Amino acid sequence: MDTVDKVQNPAVEVDEKGKPVAEQAPKPPASKVAASAAKPTARAGTSTTQSGGQAEKKGEAASATEPVSKMRRRIVWTCIWGYLAANFLMFLRFFLPRSIFEPSTTFRVGYPQDYALGVDTKFQQQFRIWVIRNAERLFVVYARCTHLGCTPDWKPSEQKFKCPCHGSGYDGEAINFEGPAPRPMDRAHVELDAEGQIVVDINRLYKQEKGARSQFDDDGAFLRV
Amino acid sequence: MDWGQLWEITSKPDNIPIVAMLFLVPFFTWYGIRQARANDQLIAQLETDPQMAKTHHRKVQPWRPGWVKEVHTWPFLLRIEFLAAVIVTVLLMVWSITLNAPLEEPANPNLTMNPSKAPWYFLGLQEMLVYFDPWIAGVLMPGLIIVGLMAIPYMDTNPLGSGYYTWRQRRFAISAFCFGFIVLWVSMIIIGTFIRGPGWVWFWPGQTWDHNVQVFDLNRDLHEFFGITSMLGKLIFGAVVVGLYYVAAGWFVHKLLTWNEFNRKVYERMSLIQYLTLQFFLTTTLALPVKMLLRLLFTIKYVWVTPWFNV
Amino acid sequence: MEPEKKDGKSNVGLIDRMREQVPVLKEKVKEEVEGLKDPEKTQLYKSIFRVKHDDTPRNRSLGVLSNVFLHLHPAKVNRDAVKFNYTWGMGGITFYLFIVLTFTGILLMFYFHPSKVQAFRDILYLEHDVPFGKLLRNMHRWAAHLMVITVELHMFRVFLTGSYKRPREFNWVVGVLLLVLTLLLSFTGYLLPDDQLGFWAVTVGTNMARATPGLGHEGPFGAQLGMTPYNDVRFGLLGGSIVDANALLRSYIWHCIGIPIVAGIFMGVHFWRVRKDGGISGPAPVMLESEIKPIKKI
Repeated sequence: MDTVDKVQNPAVEVDEKGKPVAEQAPKPPASKVAASAAKPTARAGTSTTQSGGQAEKKGEAASATEPVSKMRRRIVWTCIWGYLAANFLMFLRFFLPRSIFEPSTTFRVGYPQDYALGVDTKFQQQFRIWVIRNAERLFVVYARCTHLGCTPDWKPSEQKFKCPCHGSGYDGEAINFEGPAPRPMDRAHVELDAEGQIVVDINRLYKQEKGARSQFDDDGAFLRV
Repeated sequence: MDWGQLWEITSKPDNIPIVAMLFLVPFFTWYGIRQARANDQLIAQLETDPQMAKTHHRKVQPWRPGWVKEVHTWPFLLRIEFLAAVIVTVLLMVWSITLNAPLEEPANPNLTMNPSKAPWYFLGLQEMLVYFDPWIAGVLMPGLIIVGLMAIPYMDTNPLGSGYYTWRQRRFAISAFCFGFIVLWVSMIIIGTFIRGPGWVWFWPGQTWDHNVQVFDLNRDLHEFFGITSMLGKLIFGAVVVGLYYVAAGWFVHKLLTWNEFNRKVYERMSLIQYLTLQFFLTTTLALPVKMLLRLLFTIKYVWVTPWFNV
Repeated sequence: MEPEKKDGKSNVGLIDRMREQVPVLKEKVKEEVEGLKDPEKTQLYKSIFRVKHDDTPRNRSLGVLSNVFLHLHPAKVNRDAVKFNYTWGMGGITFYLFIVLTFTGILLMFYFHPSKVQAFRDILYLEHDVPFGKLLRNMHRWAAHLMVITVELHMFRVFLTGSYKRPREFNWVVGVLLLVLTLLLSFTGYLLPDDQLGFWAVTVGTNMARATPGLGHEGPFGAQLGMTPYNDVRFGLLGGSIVDANALLRSYIWHCIGIPIVAGIFMGVHFWRVRKDGGISGPAPVMLESEIKPIKKI
C-alpha cells in the first residue's frame, strides 16, 4: 500500500526542514481522525506516550543521534533575542531626533534708555518677559511663576505680580512674598551688543533659591545703568 | 540593445517588487503545478485500480496506519510560522537597509513628470486607460474584477479539487483564472513597468527611453470603416457590434464549457443564473484583449459611440 | 518588647532575644531562597501563566487554546498542512506584514504632520534627523509592497487548491474585500509624502473617479444627474475639487485609522471563518470523478 510519491518524500518521516528524523514523530495518544475522506483505514490506535517529544530549550536533546542541536538552538535563540534587543534600543533612540525646530531663545529688546523706572510689560506678549529697572540696575524677568509655570499678571495699582493660578504674589522686582511660589521669578541673561541694544537669552536663567547662593548678582543677570 | 536602459528600469527601487514578481509568480506557478502533477498521477492510479481506491489514504504525502492524522499546533505549526516570520523579517531588513524608498520633488500641481506612473499594483489599470475611457478603465473594470472574483465560488460547480492541487480535474477553472491573473493582470503590470516609457509610448526592452520621440497615433472609430456618420447610425451600429461580439464570445465560451465529457458533466450541474453569470464575466474578460488588439493592430479607438459614453 | 527599662537588664534581655532570633531568621531566608530557585512555583509566576508548561499533550493543547494571542489556532492541525508546500504560508505572512506595517506606521506617525506645509519636510526630517528614521520609512514602504505581493500569491494559492469551494465561499468573498482594502491602504499611503510621485498618482486615480457613471461630473449621465466638480464623488473623496490640503488629511485618516479598522474587522471575520469552515482545507484526500454526487434539487 505504497503511495505514489515520486516527488514527495519517501516513506521516511521528515521534519519541516526535510531532514529525516531518527525517532518517530511525537504522536499524541489516540487522537480522533480529522475530517478526511471516508476511507476505513486503520484508526490511530496505538498510542505512544511521547517522552518529552521534541526537545525543549530547557536542555533535553532532541535525539541521541543529534548532540549538536542544543548549540544550534542556543545560537538561534541568541540571535533572535539579540535582534529584538537591538530593535528595542533602536526604538528608544528613535524618539530623540537630532535637530528640532523651535523659536530662537535670544532676541533684542531695545536700548536701556528706552526703559523708565519700574516694570515694563512691552514685550510680555511677544517674548514672555518683563523689563524691570531700578535705581542701579536693569534686569529681565522671565514671566513664569515658580510654583507651577503659569504667567502672572502685573498689577500696577497694587505694584505687585499676582499669579492667577494659585495666588502667588511677587513684589515690584519679582521677588515672591505670598502664596505657594517657592522662590522669586527667574531672571534672563542680558548683555549689550555692539550697538548698545539689550540682548536677552531666556535659555540662560538666573535663579535665587532658598538655601543656595543667589545668582541675581552674577555677571549677565543684570545691566548696570 | 540598450542594457543600460534595461538596468535603469529594473534597478529602480520602486520597480523591485515587480522584478521580484517576475521570479515569484513563475516559481509558485511551477510549485503548484508540481504538486498538481503528483496528485494527478495518484488520481490516475486510483481511477484504474478500484481496490486501491478503496483502501488508500488518498494523498501523496506519506502515511501509514498507526500514524495520527493530526499533530499539535504547538510546537509543529507554530514553529514553522515563527520561522516564516523570521525569514520575512530578515528579508525585509536587508531590503530596507540596501534600497531606499523613493522621494521625488515636492508636489507641484503645475508640473507633471514623464512618465507619470501609478504604483505598480495599479499599472495594469493604467495600461487599460490606453484602450478604454476613464470611466471604464478606472471604475467599471475594477468594479467588475472585484465582483467577478467574489462570484467565483458561486459559479464553480465542479466539486473536485477541493483542498488539493490538481490540473486534470479543474482544467477549465485554472485556465480561466490564470488567463485573468497571469496573462491579463500580471503581464499588464509588466508592460506598464518595463515597456511603457515617456509619454506612455511603447518601448521594447532594450530600447532607449526617448523623451522626444514622435508618435503618430491615428485613431479611427470602427463605424468609420462603414461610412456611418449620423449620430443615430453610430449608436445603432455600435450596439450591433457589441451585441455581435457578445454572441460570438458567448458561443466560444459555451464551446469551451462543453468541450469534453468532463466539462459537460460540470456544465450540467450549473443553474441558469450560474451559467449566465459565468458567461458574462468570461466574455467581458475576453473583451479586453480583443479591444487591445483592435487598438494595437488596427488603431481603432472606439467600437461604440453614443452621445453619453464611448466604448 | 518590654515597656519599662530597668537599668541595663532589659536591654541585655533584648539582645539575647535578638540573638536567639538570628538562626530562626537564617532558616527562613534559606527557605525562601530555595523557593525562588523554582520560579514556576511562585505566586507571581502562577498568577501570570495559568497553564503549566511542562510538555504533556494536554499542556500542548492548552498552551494554544488558552492563550489570548494563539487561540486563533486549533489545538491540532492536519499533519500535512504543516508543510510549506501546501499553503506557501502566504496568508500568515500577509498578516505578519500587516502587523509590521502597523508597528512601523505608528512610529512614523510620531514625526509626521499631515499638512501641506510640513508633510514633505517631515519625510526629509525623518530620513536625516531622526535616528533610524530612514530605516523605518524604508521598512514601511517595502513591507507594503511585499504585502501586496503576498496577498496576491495567497489568492492564487487558494484558487489553485480549490479552497474557495463549499463551505468556504464566503471566506473567499471576505478575502477579496481584504485584497481591495490592502490596495486602498497602499494607495492612500502613497499620497502622504506629498511628493510628485504621490501627488500625480492620486490625481490620476481621483480623476478616474470623476468619470464614474452617474456619480462623477464627467462620467456618463453625470451631468444629467446634476453632478458638478463641487458635489460629485471625487469631491467627496478629496474634500475639495483639487488635490490639496484636505485631500492629504483625508488620505492620512483613511490610511492610519479608517481602513485599518475596517481591515481589522474583516481579518477577524476571515480568520474566524477559516476555523469555522473546518480549518486549513488541505492537503485533502483526492476525490475521484466517479465519486461526484449529483446535485440535490431543492
